[in-house]
Parts: sequence; structure tokens; C-alpha cells
Amino acid sequence: MEPEVDTRGLDDATVVLDGVHVTYRVYEDRRPRLREVFAQRGHRPSYREIKAVRGVDLVARQGESIGLIGHNGSGKSTLMQAVAGLLPVTAGAVYASSQPSLLGVSAALQPNASGRRNIVLGGLALGMTRAEIDERMDEVIRFTGLADSIDLPLRTYSSGMRARLHFAIATSVEPEILLIDEALSVGDEAFRRRSGRRIKELRRRAGTIFLVSHSMESIIDTCSRCIWLDHGELRADGHPKAVVEQYRASIEEE
Amino acid sequence: MAQQMDIPPHLRRLGGTPSLRTYLASIWSRRHFAWSVARGEIRTQHLDTALGNLWHLINPLLLIGVYYLVFGLILGTDRGVDNFVAFLGIGIFTFNYTQKAILSGGRTLASNVGLIRSLQFPRALLPMSSVLRETMAFASAAVVMIAVVLFTGEPITWRWVLVLPAFALAAVFSLGFAFIAARLADKFRDLLNVLPFLFRIAFYLSGVLYSVEAFLDDPAILRIMLANPFYVYVSLPREYLMVSLDQDAIGWMWLSGVAWAAGGLIVGLLVFRGGEHEYGRG
Repeated sequence: MEPEVDTRGLDDATVVLDGVHVTYRVYEDRRPRLREVFAQRGHRPSYREIKAVRGVDLVARQGESIGLIGHNGSGKSTLMQAVAGLLPVTAGAVYASSQPSLLGVSAALQPNASGRRNIVLGGLALGMTRAEIDERMDEVIRFTGLADSIDLPLRTYSSGMRARLHFAIATSVEPEILLIDEALSVGDEAFRRRSGRRIKELRRRAGTIFLVSHSMESIIDTCSRCIWLDHGELRADGHPKAVVEQYRASIEEE
Repeated sequence: MAQQMDIPPHLRRLGGTPSLRTYLASIWSRRHFAWSVARGEIRTQHLDTALGNLWHLINPLLLIGVYYLVFGLILGTDRGVDNFVAFLGIGIFTFNYTQKAILSGGRTLASNVGLIRSLQFPRALLPMSSVLRETMAFASAAVVMIAVVLFTGEPITWRWVLVLPAFALAAVFSLGFAFIAARLADKFRDLLNVLPFLFRIAFYLSGVLYSVEAFLDDPAILRIMLANPFYVYVSLPREYLMVSLDQDAIGWMWLSGVAWAAGGLIVGLLVFRGGEHEYGRG
């Protein structure tokens, strides 16, 4: 299935990616061989340029929840960070109707501060006022299900607990565009259900959700559309079942 | 694709350099964030030591003791100063404050990569919160400093009030240069290893440990010293806290202090904003 050409207008678009390229540098942990030092006098780059995303065009619309699949290192997380405006794009542009908020597993807010203080910090960073945060604090804590450990430092949390907290913080502002990068996969069954409900709520309010996952079941269950990224390029875009099937077929070929 | 399509007005381009006005507005609307980060870090800094937050007071006392021993008693740099302990105390505390504020501001982008990669907020809040944190820590050091000044026999006078604007100028100056250090250190990580040595040089050149006026007779050099912000910010509080000290050119010091603070803040903010979309690349 070739990516379809979207002929609709952009009136209900929430995110538009226009030829987005993301290239970043990774410094090599390798000593130059003596011969290399002499052979290339002067400037020798000790880093490698990783072309993580190469020319992605995409229009996301209100009420869509878009699954992102692809092998490890296919550029899914990088693309999400670019959409969130956290990683600069090398070429192309990202347009959005409001500031997307990204939920990732690796995100550690303030490891030495307690869960409660992190809720405050996260809320302030997302532009809430102190009064709004205090107002929603109980609800956020209830949602995390971490009432017992909310005053312990964040570094003592398990990855699942951290994911709960972060999800609760990010959705407490009711973002119009929510990017979820594997953040739900570390949670337990109860949390997955609760977060699934909240995602549906967001979609009903005409929000847009991007979901990166390696669980094809959760993509098929929660998403209305699916995108397959392969080496930084858009390989397929369409109905989740169809795209997942295609993806699975390509894995079996290998 | 979208090149042929017109981007409707409800879509905003992400990234890029924000206009100064929107940048300042978004900083202002999230100022509590900077405050909250700073306060949290102060609280957790010494959480795992037996004496806890008392270290904010003990540290500076020990520091004065060491420097008095080495420079006052052994090397004898106390020439021309009657109350050398107070002179030393004010100098070390004020200099250390600007140094720590600028250095921690410079490190702040690297040490908060987690925050930067997970939340979108004006990055200027990070150096601001570092400087704020050092300022709060300095407030407790200032209590020790005042105690030392009183203990060594300086009287309380109405002129003490003028110390506040002097410190405020040092704080604004530090913020401006923290912005610059942060942007540069994000681009060239090696800078963070060089900066402490530059501060070491500044420390010895700025009359922290000796009276410049007693050691240098050449008026040309004294005039050059007035262009050294560290000398100015160290000398102004001394002027007002110590009756026993006699310094020249106070008016010029204020002028230089104001110029460095205002210039540093404006240039720093512009420099920092220019790299706004690059931070967090790691």
C-alpha cells in the first residue's frame, strides 16, 4: 500500500509534517587509529551523522489516533520528539494547532524530588498556575494510583510507576495533541485500562493522539490509523489492521 | 505536499527562534516554574548529610578560615586593610556567588536534559532557576557574612542598606553571563572544563584576597580595574559594610556595575534565545 495522497484541506488538521528530516550527531566512542590520524591531517570528524528521519510528510486530523510502528531505530521516537518541538528538525517543518505534549519512558523530570513535587513542576512547565495544580492535585494522584509513594523521591520509582506519574502529569492539562512513546507498555493492566479510557476521552474532545508501540494488539485496539516507519521513511499509512499485516509480512520475509 | 497547500492560520510552526516579545511573555507566565525548580534543589541538596542544611552556613565559615590562614597569616596579603577578616569574608562570599551562579547556569542545560526532552517550556527558565538557587543559597551565606563583619568590630550604619542594590546588580550580571555560558557550553561542552580556571584567574586579579589600592600605585591600572566587573561587585559591598575601609572612585564603581549588569542581561538573553531550538540535542 503506497501512502495515499491526502486531497482534503487542512481545516481540521492538528499536525502537519512537511518534508521533515532529522539528523543528529552521535559521537563515536572509538579511538582513531594512528594511521587515520596521519592520513587525514587536520579535521577528522569523530562523530557519525544519523539520519533518523528522512523526509516525512504527514497530516494528522482532529479525533485521529495514529499508531507508529517500525523496527528498533526506525526513527519513531525521533519523529515524536520532533513533532513535540523538542528536537530541532534539520530540514522541512512541523506545524501544529497547539503545543503537543510528549510522554516518553526515558523522561525523568527531577529524580531527587518527590512525586508530588514533580506533579507541581510538570504542571508549571506545562503552563498551569499554582492554583490550578493544587486544584487538580488529588485527582492526578488518584489517577496515578501512587498515593502511598507520592512523597518519595522519583528516583526510587519503578519504570512503571514513573510512566503512571508522567502520563497523569501530561494529561492533566488536557492536551489537544498527545504523543505517547512506549510510555504505556511498562504499566500494568489496571493502568493500561485507565490510560486507554483517558485516550478515548481525549479523542472525543477532538484531540489527536500519536502512539508508538511494539505491541501490535494495542495499536489495532486503540488506533484509527497506523503509520509504518522504515529507516526514517514512511513505508505505509492506512488502516491499522492492513498496515500491521504488511509490517508482519515484511518481518517474516527477512 | 504542504508547499502547494496553504498552511491555515490555526497551524503554528514549531521550533525556530521566538520573537523577543513572545519569549519574554512565556518566561513571565511560567516564572513560578523557575522558582519551584530552584527551591526544590536547595531543599534536596544536603538531604543525605547529617548536618543537612547547616552546610549552607558551615561551608562559608570554613572557607574564610582557610583563606585567612593562608593569605592573612602565612602570605601576609592583608597590607593596607585594618579588618582583614571582614574584607576577606565579603570578598570571598560575593565572588563565590557570581562564580557559582554563572557556572551552574552554564551547566544547567546539560544537567536538565531529562526536563528539556520531555517538556516544552522556554529554556531560559533553566539558567534563571540556577541563578535563583544560588541567590537563595547566598542569602544564608550572607547571614554568616554579616555575623563575621559585626563580630570583627564593624558598626551597623544606615549605609548598609546600599549593599542590597549592589548585590542586586551582581545577581543581574550573573544571570546575563549565565545565559551566555549556557549557550556556549551547549555548543562546546569543553567550555565547562575551562570556565573554572578562568574564574580562578579572575579571582586572583579582582582583589578578593588583597586590597588593590594598597598593592597598586599606578592610577592607570586602578582605572582599568573599574572595568573589571568582579572587582566592582566585590568592592561595592565592602564600601558600605566596612567603616574601616577607604576606597576611591565609588561613583565610577556604581556606573561600571550598572553597565555590566544591564549589558550582560540584554546580550545574554539575546544570545540565549538565539539557540532556543537547539537545546536538548545532547
